[in-house]
Amino acid sequence: MNITIIGNLLQILLIIIALTIVLSSDNIKMVIFFSAFSLITSGLYYFNKAPDVALAEVAIGSAIMPLILIISISKQRVFMVVNYADDDFLSSEEGKEGRGYEILASFSEYYKLKLEIHPKEDGEPQGLFTNRSVDLLVEKCPSTNKYLLKGKKSSILMNKLEQMTIDKWDIEVLKIKEGETDD
Amino acid sequence: MNPILSFIVVLIGVYGLATSKNIIKSIICINITQTAVVLIFLNLGSFNFGDIPIITDEVIPMVDPLPQALMITTIIIGTTITALALMLSIKTFHYYGTLDWKEMMGRE
Repeated sequence: MNITIIGNLLQILLIIIALTIVLSSDNIKMVIFFSAFSLITSGLYYFNKAPDVALAEVAIGSAIMPLILIISISKQRVFMVVNYADDDFLSSEEGKEGRGYEILASFSEYYKLKLEIHPKEDGEPQGLFTNRSVDLLVEKCPSTNKYLLKGKKSSILMNKLEQMTIDKWDIEVLKIKEGETDD
Repeated sequence: MNPILSFIVVLIGVYGLATSKNIIKSIICINITQTAVVLIFLNLGSFNFGDIPIITDEVIPMVDPLPQALMITTIIIGTTITALALMLSIKTFHYYGTLDWKEMMGRE
């Protein structure tokens, strides 16, 4: 009798928390409320005479699930740039300076991205877009002295970058289709 | 404990899955629906005067242990599905440049 009343109250609380998750728009808030949701659910499992399921739920639902959700949220909005230009357009080893860095920093600050600049590696830039999660490639064209920013054609961030750099005369944005070579 | 109250939670999860724009929210709504379905199954398998299914010397009425054994499997599988979906969402961000379903389909 007493347990029935507590169970019904917990189920009404469960409905309120589920509505809060569905109506909210902040990612971290949703993760915290989901952890509370799993904790209340494990109490209800125990009231339904299933203590083994309650143990599994309180370990998995309220500890491991928020962990993997928060790790993947923090790794999601990363904009990875590989630098193939040799001059001071984008100097990445000593300090973050150069004209290109200012453009990319204002771009990634406007769209709330996290900017990562990696230096040039040995070998040809073959298959960088498909094998690894590189978003942008910076090169210098030797004949016209223009800086080339190469990205994927499918990404809508490239359209926004093209609109931002439309008044710089020495910067050109190239969009590469999936499966084409990088030259 | 009432199965109808659990079914309302299932409906809330399906509503969030149908109307959300964010990929993370869609994944969390899948988990809400799955948890509520597990609650309904356990509720149908138990009754008031039954006890926890642990065998002792004397004979007592106990609840059905079969739904409990099946529901543990469901919880584990839900966790692996969540991890797979989160990995695919990271790949999707690097391909399309956004995490919004409508922007991804090109409809803004």
